Amino acid sequence: MLVVTGLCAGYLGEDVVHGVSFTVADGEAVAVIGSNGAGKTTLFKAMCGLLRPSRGAVTLDGEAISGRRAHDIARRGLAYVPAERHLFPEMTVSENLELGAYPKRPSPERRSLVLDLFPRLGERRRQRAGTLSGGEQQMLAVGRALMADPQVLLLDEPTTGLAPKLAADAYAALGRLREHGLTIVVAEQQVPLALALADRAYVLETGRIQLEGSSAELERNPEVQRAYLGVA
Amino acid sequence: MKAVILDGIVLGLQFGLLGVGLTLVYGLAGVLNLAYGQIAVLGAIVVALRMDAGMPAFFAALVGLAVAGVIGLLLDQTLMRPVYRRRGEPRVLLGLLLMLGVAFIIDGVLEWRYPIESLSLRIGGDPVEIIGVRMRTGSLLASAIALATGAVLAVFFRYAVAGKAIRSVIQDEEGARLCGVNPARARSLVFLLSGVLAALVAVTRSMTGPVTVTAGIDFTTLALIVAVVGGLGSVTGAFLAGLVLGIVNTVSAFYIGTYVTTIILLAAAAVTIVLRPTGLLGAGRT
Repeated sequence: MLVVTGLCAGYLGEDVVHGVSFTVADGEAVAVIGSNGAGKTTLFKAMCGLLRPSRGAVTLDGEAISGRRAHDIARRGLAYVPAERHLFPEMTVSENLELGAYPKRPSPERRSLVLDLFPRLGERRRQRAGTLSGGEQQMLAVGRALMADPQVLLLDEPTTGLAPKLAADAYAALGRLREHGLTIVVAEQQVPLALALADRAYVLETGRIQLEGSSAELERNPEVQRAYLGVA
Repeated sequence: MKAVILDGIVLGLQFGLLGVGLTLVYGLAGVLNLAYGQIAVLGAIVVALRMDAGMPAFFAALVGLAVAGVIGLLLDQTLMRPVYRRRGEPRVLLGLLLMLGVAFIIDGVLEWRYPIESLSLRIGGDPVEIIGVRMRTGSLLASAIALATGAVLAVFFRYAVAGKAIRSVIQDEEGARLCGVNPARARSLVFLLSGVLAALVAVTRSMTGPVTVTAGIDFTTLALIVAVVGGLGSVTGAFLAGLVLGIVNTVSAFYIGTYVTTIILLAAAAVTIVLRPTGLLGAGRT
């Protein structure tokens, strides 16, 4: 269970996220939707330790993780996949996956789970990550995050830079992970895809949660339809 | 000519080893360690002093390597702290200036306390003939140590988990943190390693000629040239560049004169920056 309470975070003393609270139960898929600049990335960075929250708390299974450093939080089971992916471009696909399990050696079961999910990565295992296509890089970023067997997978706009077909493929893979029982939190501008995956969603605007509800409720909400679903 | 090339290879292996310590610290921590040569010399002087006190050369050398490694680690833990808190240009500049200060301090202390100390390790044994050229055992031992160290480093960075973690920080620090790699630990390890490597080069150099207290600036300059040509952050690149530059060095010294070699090497570095800004191999490649 992931609990975020009153989280404030920003840059150079200026908060961008103002007191965000939400919870994610085990095995749940939750979407955080919002337009560009709503604070989704800042919120996620503050959760995973890349950014130090100015106030508020994050707990994972009852254990406070806010204020810890990113590598420590990653080892405690909160895996973050940034929109820019941050792969190791000069290393092979295999090496990237292996580092995902750091500091442990990757277990063969984990490896085959990831390669079953993304067979493309198996075909390209000896290729350098920098030479992969955008879709393959996204698969590798998710695959690398899965190698440590995380409790919660935090994804920031996994469809960034992907063609519509590849974006749908990425969400199909996330759907399979959900069926495996993985807890997923995804920030997304491509709202229809995110709502189709998620049980529940939060709408983030100017750093505050404006709306929350089940995906079905939000899909019917006129404001959401107008702002995010392109319904006139 | 064969002898000149062989000498170039002997020298080149030393150059390569020299470049590795500098290139790793730059690639990982964004710090250009301008005190690198001074740390090497400090290690050599420690060895010389231990030997003056009657310690066998091998153990004295171990003490020298350890002292230089600890100095690297101490710099990482103290003086470099404010450097790590900065990003981009301020980080490079602050690191460079602080390390320059350290270079002056080590130089000053050594020249004040031990002005006439120097290290020369005499390796016994008759010259060995290699493809018709008589090579001194000192040169051969120095080359063997450089080769073995290079091989160990290559295996470490290619296969060991810690080695891969260090490369991951060089290639994408944020990505590394998200994988659970602690960049501070990686930096400490590399600073320690860099100090040990610096002293090791000084020790192997002393097998072919004396290393004096004032040799620091020469070591630093050479290491900088090798690192730039090899690609900052690349271990194999440093060795490759070291070999090429070593041969360039002895050939130009033979045909033109030793006075011109440093200029030719600097020119090689300048040309590399113009033609191939990432060096022979890019950052983080082993």
